[in-house]
Amino acid sequence: MNALKPVLSKPWIWSWLAAALTFAATALFTGGSSAFGLSQATLTFAAFSVMVGLGQMLVITLGPGNVDLSVPATITLSGTLALKFMETESSLILPGLLVAIVIGLAVGMANYALIKLLRIPPIIATLSMSFLVQSLAIWSNRGLRIKPPEALATFTTGTVFGVPNIALAGLLLSFVIWWLLERSIYGRWISAIGQSPFAARMAGIPVDGTRFVTYVLCAVLAAICGYLLASFSGGAALNMGTEYLLMSIAVVVIGGCAVAGGNSNVPGIWGASLFMFLVVSMLNTYGFGAGIRLMLTGLIIIAVIVAASRPLNGRK
Amino acid sequence: MTIRKILAASAAVFVCAMAPLSAHADTSGKKIALSNNYAGNSWRQAMLTSWDKVTKEAVKAGVVASADAFTTAENQATEQAAQIQNMILQGYDAIVINAASPTALNGAVKAACDAGITVVSFDGIVTEPCAWRIAVNFKEMGRSQVEYLSKKLPKGGNLLEIRGLAGVFVDDEISAGIHEGVKQFPQFKIAGSVHGDWAQDVAQRAVAGILPSLPDIAAVVTQGGDGYGAAQAFEAAKRPTPIIVMGNREDELQWWKKQKDANGYETMSVSIAPGVSTLAFWVAQQILDGKDVKKDLTVPFLRIDQDTLDENLKTTQKGGVANVEYSQADAEKVIAGAK
Repeated sequence: MNALKPVLSKPWIWSWLAAALTFAATALFTGGSSAFGLSQATLTFAAFSVMVGLGQMLVITLGPGNVDLSVPATITLSGTLALKFMETESSLILPGLLVAIVIGLAVGMANYALIKLLRIPPIIATLSMSFLVQSLAIWSNRGLRIKPPEALATFTTGTVFGVPNIALAGLLLSFVIWWLLERSIYGRWISAIGQSPFAARMAGIPVDGTRFVTYVLCAVLAAICGYLLASFSGGAALNMGTEYLLMSIAVVVIGGCAVAGGNSNVPGIWGASLFMFLVVSMLNTYGFGAGIRLMLTGLIIIAVIVAASRPLNGRK
Repeated sequence: MTIRKILAASAAVFVCAMAPLSAHADTSGKKIALSNNYAGNSWRQAMLTSWDKVTKEAVKAGVVASADAFTTAENQATEQAAQIQNMILQGYDAIVINAASPTALNGAVKAACDAGITVVSFDGIVTEPCAWRIAVNFKEMGRSQVEYLSKKLPKGGNLLEIRGLAGVFVDDEISAGIHEGVKQFPQFKIAGSVHGDWAQDVAQRAVAGILPSLPDIAAVVTQGGDGYGAAQAFEAAKRPTPIIVMGNREDELQWWKKQKDANGYETMSVSIAPGVSTLAFWVAQQILDGKDVKKDLTVPFLRIDQDTLDENLKTTQKGGVANVEYSQADAEKVIAGAK
């Protein structure tokens, strides 16, 4: 029991536990024969939530009031413009990724400019930015669907030794963010700002610079997600990002990160993303109607959050 | 003299039917407005483009004086009601509405009727009795899919149903039609049902999640905008491709064509053409012209089959939705069909 304590006290353990349970329940429906197919589908779709979740996690770590609502619009714009730029030309795949990243940089900088220069609260600044960005996406292609280059589509839907490439890309980004959060000075700074911006400023932390980098990182991650998502699903669409606004916030909360900021973790984002996909699949598999399904999803999420935030013995 | 007049009149009617843009003097001074609640997807964009194209020619030909389109920013019934009040003050003779709500605009619509304005609602219809309704028979749209499948698969099999946005009237209607069809052809069984929100990527994710637990699927019944995502999910899971009913989107038709050329894949595609806005325009024009028009009209489906796939694909804009623009003659046919 004592040996289990350090593991049980991790805030992310609950999301993983919930993911494992829902996985088992879904696979059991077919007596286990669906386990391989289900895990592949789960890894693929969870990876998209992970990408946007990581960015949102960094922003939320900055403390109360910090949230990026422009994530869906950024996904749509980067998917639309990057695919339009590549024009199904396989030689332009890398420049296309660059276009997506530049869009992320631009949106992130514009977000922070609104927050800092015009002193608009983040929630309103990023919301109004999302209207601008979404209108730009509508205006740029009038809702027409543009196909990805063949090679890129093959890559995003392909697998290596049974593991989806998208999941590997998500894992790679997670390692980068994990390193930033846990091993670099930047991670210490955002946690410090989240715990007390005043104390952080007194301690000589460049608060504005750190916040600026965080908003830019979040937008860039959303842009990369948009680029991959559009290539994966066979084209960009105007409403492709809609799902990812609440998703990005939910995975942060379910993953056991502090909603008030200052304390975050990367493994929880994965556990929560896997769980969010699995819970819908499970309820679909058991054939519940939409009303019951949405209600159960809500109840299960509340249960996991309560479990994750319950003070354990030995913790305050 | 009278015989000559009758001849001239019938010739005019004939010319009208053949070349609908030739002017009919009675409405040449009339102003028609389009009140639209939403523009944020490819279907609505195509709807507005069609309206623009057809009405511009009609104005040039002198059929009506003007036909302006207005779209509200927020998809809110209150905002659209205010918009309609403005149109009353601006003195339009007819207002064509794609409504944000079937009931919330009734007050504004009644005010317009009382001011002597002809109100025609389409797609998103209003229930106010003084307005005309050009409605879609969504139930039949769902039922006809199962009927088609019963001919293709006489032995029946398992169906996967992809629904739209939970809680929306259209989703309930199409789904009810599909279930009616399954009752009519009991060799089919709905093995699973997911919500795809009429979006390819949402449908793809939902289907990928349920697919591993499903038995062999013979066909997928859909609501439009979700067929390509379903096809992608089946391909990713390396399962045999069932008959997937499509919804007239260009990428769906493109995928169908590729399968057809490769292995003779057969299916059908059904949806409402965005050009239904132009049908509403002509119906409004006919009413202003003094024609006797029933209050409830039905929009014909735009259905694409194996033999009409190629020509429809040719006329569909890349990345858009298959479309037809209606003429005055089409409107007359719909009006006559309702009697």
